[in-house]
Amino acid sequence: MSGGGGPVIPNFGSASHCITNNDLFCTDWVRSNWSSTLQPALLDHLKLTAIAVVIGFAIAFAAAVLARRLRFFEHPFTLFSALLYTIPSIALFQVLVPFTGLTETTVEIALVGYTLLILFRNTLAGFRAVPDDVLEAARGMGLHGREILWRIEVPLALPSIMAGLRIAVVTIVSLATLAAFVIPEGLGRPIFIALRDYFKTEIIAAGGLAVLLALTADAVLVLAQRLLTPWARARAA
Amino acid sequence: MGESESRVILFDDVSAGTFLDAFRFIGDNGQLIWDKTVEQLALSGAALGVAIAIAIPIGVLLGHWHRGSFIAINVSNIGRALPSLAVIAIGISIFGISFTNVMFALVVLAVPPMLTNAYVAVDEVDRDVVQAARGMGMREHDVLFRVELPLSTALIFAGIRTAAVYVVSTATIAAIAGGGGLGDIIVNQASYRFEGVLGAAYCVAALALLADFSLGGVQRLLSPRGLRRRPVVDPEVATAQAFGH
Amino acid sequence: MIRKHTRRAVKAAFCISFGVALILGGLAAGAMSATAAQPTVKLGTKNFTEEYILGQLYKQALEAKGYKVEYHENIGSTEVVDKAMTSGQINVYPEYLGTVLSVVFHKTSVPKNPATALAQARALDGKRGFTLFTPTPFYDTDAMGVLNSTAKNYGLKTIADMKKIPGLSICGFPEFQTRYAGLLGLKQAYGITKAKFVPLAGISVYEAMDGKKCIVGDVFSTDPQLAKPSKYTVLTDPKEIFSERSQTVVPIVSTKLAKSLGSKFRQTMDAVSATLTLPAMIAMNKAVAIDKKQPAAVAKAFLKANHLS
Repeated sequence: MSGGGGPVIPNFGSASHCITNNDLFCTDWVRSNWSSTLQPALLDHLKLTAIAVVIGFAIAFAAAVLARRLRFFEHPFTLFSALLYTIPSIALFQVLVPFTGLTETTVEIALVGYTLLILFRNTLAGFRAVPDDVLEAARGMGLHGREILWRIEVPLALPSIMAGLRIAVVTIVSLATLAAFVIPEGLGRPIFIALRDYFKTEIIAAGGLAVLLALTADAVLVLAQRLLTPWARARAA
Repeated sequence: MGESESRVILFDDVSAGTFLDAFRFIGDNGQLIWDKTVEQLALSGAALGVAIAIAIPIGVLLGHWHRGSFIAINVSNIGRALPSLAVIAIGISIFGISFTNVMFALVVLAVPPMLTNAYVAVDEVDRDVVQAARGMGMREHDVLFRVELPLSTALIFAGIRTAAVYVVSTATIAAIAGGGGLGDIIVNQASYRFEGVLGAAYCVAALALLADFSLGGVQRLLSPRGLRRRPVVDPEVATAQAFGH
Repeated sequence: MIRKHTRRAVKAAFCISFGVALILGGLAAGAMSATAAQPTVKLGTKNFTEEYILGQLYKQALEAKGYKVEYHENIGSTEVVDKAMTSGQINVYPEYLGTVLSVVFHKTSVPKNPATALAQARALDGKRGFTLFTPTPFYDTDAMGVLNSTAKNYGLKTIADMKKIPGLSICGFPEFQTRYAGLLGLKQAYGITKAKFVPLAGISVYEAMDGKKCIVGDVFSTDPQLAKPSKYTVLTDPKEIFSERSQTVVPIVSTKLAKSLGSKFRQTMDAVSATLTLPAMIAMNKAVAIDKKQPAAVAKAFLKANHLS
């Protein structure tokens, strides 16, 4: 289709009838676009989630340890993280953009904020669930602060902590789909772009991957929970 | 048709003032906010209605027959894990774009916690009480409606409360799919500027809190002190999880 | 024994999280104090298919010539992308000339002569520290589209005929409501006041029209869905509220960046722009929107065929 003097318009390749017809699911499209579109989105999504949960856990854990010793700290921190929680994520992203730009940092700050409430509450609840006589006995045996924390309180709080981690991970996998509002990363990106053109195959492929990722992460954490706390077969929240 | 005075559009940077200006936006645009809120509540209400009609009967019956415990309990874990945007997007691609289809996606997200709670509520009614009822000659549906259900109401309601808060917040995302509601304002910073986005965000938060608060009040009314039990899907934990998405 | 195991695992997790937090903090700090030998091109695009293609074309052409490009795809509408430019988050993006005047500078009448429009835009943007490079041959304008059946039913030829439609509803990007090249122009130039607006934040306008969500849709003139034979009819715009011929694409570049990167940068960009004729753009739009090829792949093939990469 190159006119005289005009640019060369190459043949961009034809598309199967399935694609041009916008049938529900075209496996040929998925196969040819896996490594260029779907796989990077999936890996980015994993990365965004992992970073957010790891940092969120570090902060929530430290805060819970602090709240354990300083009673007054609990309320303000809970209030702060609950407040962050009620802001719809899309709004929070937009508020952060002028400060941290259209970057991964913006997304991570928001995602970390969303993990804080559930991780803090569950960790603190776990600590609180440690019976007082166990602590007495520990002190009686001559253990001091940090040893009690790591050798007694944390292991006993693990079921609650793991339950919180499970909810947090699953929540962040879901929220990370909205990160595409700010940066072209994560499974939300193919979903948004495909919604614009109403391209069913890509919507189902990317959406399906997000669902699978969330369910897999949930299952993995249940397994980790069983392995790490075999004595606590109690139903987790 | 003369030229309008040339004016460069520059959004205000977000400052402390913007957070307060958001309230002024709500005041100045009362009609708009009201219309969008009604849209969001209509969508959420419809989704919840359908979800209740599906989840409660199934959950209650399974609990009454003490069957399907694995599925009934785990469906809420699976449901909680579903990324809302993905569910809405997949629903649209399969069924097309319309109010009904966005609503069905929300139904999918609302059913799990209600089903699980309904199941556990009826399943865990004291067996002795049920035995006694049967022993008195009550027929099956009397046992269900006059003994098991009254004892389960509070827990069933806790499930509805959890689902309600979740649906009201998630309906915000439905705007991306043409579902309307306050999300329309939140994704449209171009027209409504930061004040609008923040104002609508405050409203969504307020709506979710209101739903939680009012349903929580009803829940407390429905549960006589002696019968309060800890629900499987803890409304407080799940509420904490559900907000804002 | 299990406790020791667990304790170690938790300690390890804790240390790792702090470590990661520190590293990320360090990286973020490092990124902010960027002093590259050559300034980075921060290229952004608006939020629809044609812009993704344009973005990829410029991005790959620049990278082929050794420039470092930070790519911010799909930022949003003009209003939002302009803010990204003025706040320095990006320093280049492709915009439509008429839109610069009508949306950024709020002009209600855009010059019908593209050259005049360009001069006006250059003068106005120059004051903000932005330079406009050479425009493309092709133009792409908003237009009002309807299903063929609708056009036949109501006898629709021009936008003014829209008044004949009872229960008129229009779908478009949310910003259509506040633009002169939008509802404002429809009202002021054509007297169309009784229209219900359906904002489409994330879905296709063609899908919306097919699904009867609205009767009239805000379409783009280079959309492949409009290429004959088409299911849709485009209504003519005699009062030119959509300023058709002035809607060529022109890269908006921060003057500071243009100066520091010099004439070779400008030439690279202009060389790409020169190849973007209407047939070329429609072909690329079709490849992406209908045949579902990736914009990056389509841009790559085009640049290669024209010896620009």
